[in-house]
Amino acid sequence: MLQVKNIEKYYGNKNQVTKALDRVSFDVAAGEFIAIMGASGSGKTTLLNCISTIDTISAGSILLDGVDISGLSDRKLAKFRRERLGFVFQDFNLLDTLTIEENIGLTLSLNHQNPKNVQKQVEKIAHTLGITEILKKFPYQVSGGQKQRAACARAMVAKQSLLLADEPTGALDSKASKNLLEIMTQMNQKMKATILMVTHDAYSASYASRVLFLKDGRLFNELLKGMRPRPTFYHEILDVLAVLGGDISDVI
Amino acid sequence: MTLSKLSFRNAKRQTGDYLIYFTTIVLAAALLYAFNGLTFSSELLTLSKFMETLPMMIVFASIVVVCIFGWLVSYATGFMLSRRSRELGTYLLIGLEKKEVAHLFFLENLMVGGFAFLLGLLLGNFLYQVLRAILLALFSCPYHFTLAFSLKAAGLTFTYFTFIYLLALFKSRWHIHKMKIYDLIYFDRQNEHVIVKNSKSRQRLFTFSIILGIVGTILLLMENALIGILGAGCIILFLYIFFLTFASGVPAFFDRQPFRKYQKQNLLIYRTLTAKLGTMGIVMATIALLFTATLISQGTGLIFWGIFNARSADKYCFDLYADSERPEGIPSEYLDYIEQNISVEQSLLYCIYQRESNEFITYLQKNADYYPYNQKDMVIRYSDYQALRSIAGYPNVTLESGEYLIHCQRYLKNTLKNHQPAIHFGETTLSSAGIHTEPFMQNNYTTGNGHGFLLVVPDDAVSALTPHHFSYAANTTAPVTEEQYEALDTIRNRVCENIDELYDSLHTEANEKATVASMTAISIFPLYFLAFALTMTAATILTIQQLAECRHYQTQYKLLQKLGMDRREMAKTLRTQFSIYYTLPAVPPLFISIPFLLHTANATEPGIMVGAFSPAMIILDTLLLFFFIYAIYILMAYTTLKRNVLPENS
Repeated sequence: MLQVKNIEKYYGNKNQVTKALDRVSFDVAAGEFIAIMGASGSGKTTLLNCISTIDTISAGSILLDGVDISGLSDRKLAKFRRERLGFVFQDFNLLDTLTIEENIGLTLSLNHQNPKNVQKQVEKIAHTLGITEILKKFPYQVSGGQKQRAACARAMVAKQSLLLADEPTGALDSKASKNLLEIMTQMNQKMKATILMVTHDAYSASYASRVLFLKDGRLFNELLKGMRPRPTFYHEILDVLAVLGGDISDVI
Repeated sequence: MTLSKLSFRNAKRQTGDYLIYFTTIVLAAALLYAFNGLTFSSELLTLSKFMETLPMMIVFASIVVVCIFGWLVSYATGFMLSRRSRELGTYLLIGLEKKEVAHLFFLENLMVGGFAFLLGLLLGNFLYQVLRAILLALFSCPYHFTLAFSLKAAGLTFTYFTFIYLLALFKSRWHIHKMKIYDLIYFDRQNEHVIVKNSKSRQRLFTFSIILGIVGTILLLMENALIGILGAGCIILFLYIFFLTFASGVPAFFDRQPFRKYQKQNLLIYRTLTAKLGTMGIVMATIALLFTATLISQGTGLIFWGIFNARSADKYCFDLYADSERPEGIPSEYLDYIEQNISVEQSLLYCIYQRESNEFITYLQKNADYYPYNQKDMVIRYSDYQALRSIAGYPNVTLESGEYLIHCQRYLKNTLKNHQPAIHFGETTLSSAGIHTEPFMQNNYTTGNGHGFLLVVPDDAVSALTPHHFSYAANTTAPVTEEQYEALDTIRNRVCENIDELYDSLHTEANEKATVASMTAISIFPLYFLAFALTMTAATILTIQQLAECRHYQTQYKLLQKLGMDRREMAKTLRTQFSIYYTLPAVPPLFISIPFLLHTANATEPGIMVGAFSPAMIILDTLLLFFFIYAIYILMAYTTLKRNVLPENS
């Protein structure tokens, strides 16, 4: 579904160049749940930003369903983002002035869907994610976990094919984190959503079916969950992180 | 770093962050200096004896303007205080005393104010030159540029500024002293207070406010001072209740038709609007009130100008004119003085007669906006009419026997076109030979050349008519001076002393022009001074509020970009949000001020508010000027916001 081929990303000017991504390549199959891990500054958010077309790549190509997204015009990129990508951010990024229902419906509105069907679609996804009772509330009236579930609903309501999550559990307590990860798993398994999640939390990563490790902008390692139980996979992730070094206190 | 260095750095930052506010303060100083300059200019005040009143009017307007700017500065400093509360809280946290923090804030504001004052003085000098040029042009005097700095005007402006700033700063000082570190640091987390919480009662109040607005505007038009005050009260109440409850009306609309909010960009636009109104209803209402006052000031100024202009334009036709209703004719005292002191080129002593009939008056009364000051139709002999046309410099007209002419004010022409019957003078019947409308001294109530209209008939037709009054008209080799007019006026006061009801008319073109120029200056200058101050203050407050939300907008549009909103759609949404924000406080004032101005313009005597001063033109000019100044602020705010908020094209 997604093919990342030899992408490179440089920042800075002639005198000082920082290489944020260095020849990164990987494929994502439809229906996969992938976690990208790495210490601070390893390039994981840059990678996510490049895939989400918010940032441009310096070299290489990114293909989604065979289409090279790096060659698209601004308008086509915008269309691509609103139709194909769903976002979940660490700080929820819900608009304060809109109710939860409106925040979710906004994506459909941006996609120019029939306004008469918006409410029904929002109610349907809210029911699936268990946030029906908070639909009429404003973001400041609900908990962090509920906000993140609302963000998930927004990311899926327009039947987007790829969900990009940037540290989705970063601002949540452990109970809310667990709840959200279970919901993401449910979205992946029952709704067949393809998920690409950036995290530095091994516990969160253990919910994925495959984990990619980034170090200094390069793909360092890859772990497949296979049929192993989640706690075993979690320990394997920790082992790789120990080898990877970096900010271990961030990891556990 | 010393406290004064920190203050200086903060002041510099403040000028950059609140550039529009700073510009307004500079303009405020410039306006105050320029108008104060007028009150101290002996050159301008001696243009006419009527100009003696100008300083008083300007000072009176200045007091109101100082209060308005005082409110602006007080509001803006309070606003900045709230925006920077976390920073001030941090100063307290690291050990600065409240007194020192207050002093810091005081000092930086004083620096901003002082700098604005100095720049304002510079700009004010140029503005003063513009006002001086306008005033000299009004008096038809030549203008020469002379750079003059008035120390007195600068001193007075400084006094006003000190008052404005001290008031605002003492207020914020008190606020700082009252606040706790926690409050300062978490100031921006405080929720806004909703004044009317129940949404049903908010909706009811919203409807009630509209009714109040309509009733208030109607009461204002009742031409009764007491009822007018009541009307103004209703309008003030309307504006406040309207803006405090408006936010509830919009969600109610979308609750009824929920799908509508998902159409196009409705959702973002309506939510931003209600969020904004929910928190700044009182400010919006105050701004709407200021706008109403602005439009009324500007419009009334134009109406005054129209009245003075039109009343005099009709009298400009003769260099010198006098009339008297005494049966013995024009008193010889006038004529003697004129003969001895004024160089007359051409003159005429003549009589205005009255007909037996009042058919024209009756017709006009029924079909035009005409008030009958006379009982009968007025008539003049053709030969006198021809001589008067020659004195006024108009081309000759011919009148055949058996014909009559109508000379009327321009606004009556269309009505009289439909009424040109054959008229009878004893055995003689005359048919109409046309209508003339040049200015002809026709708005002198009972005297002059007929009130509004005059019938010109062959000389022999008047033989059986009764004289109504006697007139004298002349053109002179040089304009009749103000002193000569004064002398004639003294004679008039002497000869009219013992006559109870009669008062001779006396007009000289120069005196009329001076009166018009003075009256225009005295009424229009203070009103426009006020209008500029009001528009600038209101537009600045709106803009400060809007630009303060920059960061909020930035986050919103960044997210929308990520969610795939097209840049063009983003620009369109921002534009719509922006236009609604700036249009909203301007709409109720239009509904109040337009009927008020139309009514006032129409309440003047007929024939005055015509042409360039017709009610429609007055409304148009008022709106053009108002929206011109408003648009400058809107444009400045929009470009800043667009630059900061919309993501760049990649």
